[in-house]
Amino acid sequence: MKQKKSILIAGGIVLLLMVIGLVFSCHSKKQPPNIQAGLAQGVDTVPMLIMQVQKCSKLYTAEYRVHKIITHDDAFRLKGQLMSKSFNVKVPLADRKIAIPMDAKIKAYIDFSEFSEKNVERRGNKITIVLPDPQVVMTSSKINQQHVKQYVGLTRAHFSDEELANYQQQGREAILQSIPDMGIEETARANAAKVLVPMLTQLGYAESDITIAFRRDLDFKHSYQGLIRIED
Amino acid sequence: MKKFHLIIGVIIVIALVAIVLWVKSALKDNYIELGSNETIEPTPTQIQSIRDIGEWEFLSISAEEMVDTVRKGFFSDDELVRIYYGTLRLGIDMKSLADDAISVKGDSVEVVLPKVGLLDKDFIDEAKTKSFYESGRWSPQVHEALYRKAQRQMLRNCLTPANLEAAKTNAEAQFRNFMLSLGYQNVAIRFE
Repeated sequence: MKQKKSILIAGGIVLLLMVIGLVFSCHSKKQPPNIQAGLAQGVDTVPMLIMQVQKCSKLYTAEYRVHKIITHDDAFRLKGQLMSKSFNVKVPLADRKIAIPMDAKIKAYIDFSEFSEKNVERRGNKITIVLPDPQVVMTSSKINQQHVKQYVGLTRAHFSDEELANYQQQGREAILQSIPDMGIEETARANAAKVLVPMLTQLGYAESDITIAFRRDLDFKHSYQGLIRIED
Repeated sequence: MKKFHLIIGVIIVIALVAIVLWVKSALKDNYIELGSNETIEPTPTQIQSIRDIGEWEFLSISAEEMVDTVRKGFFSDDELVRIYYGTLRLGIDMKSLADDAISVKGDSVEVVLPKVGLLDKDFIDEAKTKSFYESGRWSPQVHEALYRKAQRQMLRNCLTPANLEAAKTNAEAQFRNFMLSLGYQNVAIRFE
């Protein structure tokens, strides 16, 4: 009896969702074509700003611009088990799909905040600068709002701002996870020499006497074996 | 005859109990649910360009900005409130360091550094944005307008003379330390 009730309740929910969907689709048609005007009429934004200022010394040497299309297929499904038979069916007219194009900037930097005479090796006219390994950070991301495409079934509500933000955050995470495969650290190492060598040549060193070296987990108690050296 | 009716009654009761028990056991694991998937699909991340840069950052300002917009309606007003995150990086573009920016005389060195400024005008991490409140339906154009608004506000609040001066002071200190580490005793730092 309880199960019958639950089936009836579920049926009721489906009916309710359909009614809500219809109401929302009707409501959306009543919106003015240029919603931009809504912003113009908007009440002044009350700025709430939280700032964190930090002194640092980071030399960014490589910049990658990446592009990703975040896609989400939000099919509404009716799942369950009745009389020991399981079922999983797509609810008709209840599909939602969205594609969000996104661009991001990823930069690699070398941290100079701990730089000291320990990072410099001099032998006669030759000089070696030993640097910590580059670190990578996503410095910005931009959603291409003009090219966001979405399809919403008759019985479904439009994607909410919260849902969109959630998909965008998932896309951001996916980009961050793909960073190790991009090879940005190698580019950053090579480019560090392009910034530092001209400075050192201005200081009077010949290009052939300059070595820029890198080491993971820079630790001066150990020997410099295993350094990745880039000679310019 | 009475006995016959009694037996029939007992059989009917037993049958009814059996049917109830069977239906109950059959419905024991039953469930029904309506749902949808919340995760995005795996798509490739394409590298569009690789650029050599030489941006030396001396001050990092992490900002979060709450911006909203209201649309007046007949019965009620619609509102959209979002929180944007960004990091403004102040420093020196080493690509604009002049060829004669560093001059050495014995153990003294003089460095003329380019002007300290905002290293990258793209500083908002829009994909990190949080939706705080939404009523009504809003178009992508409104989202774009809110992004621009957050960008303007962050620039106005973070790119202040005080922060630029702090970045300049730190640039001077860091370059002095760099030159001292290279073995120069007297270091003079100037800005263009």
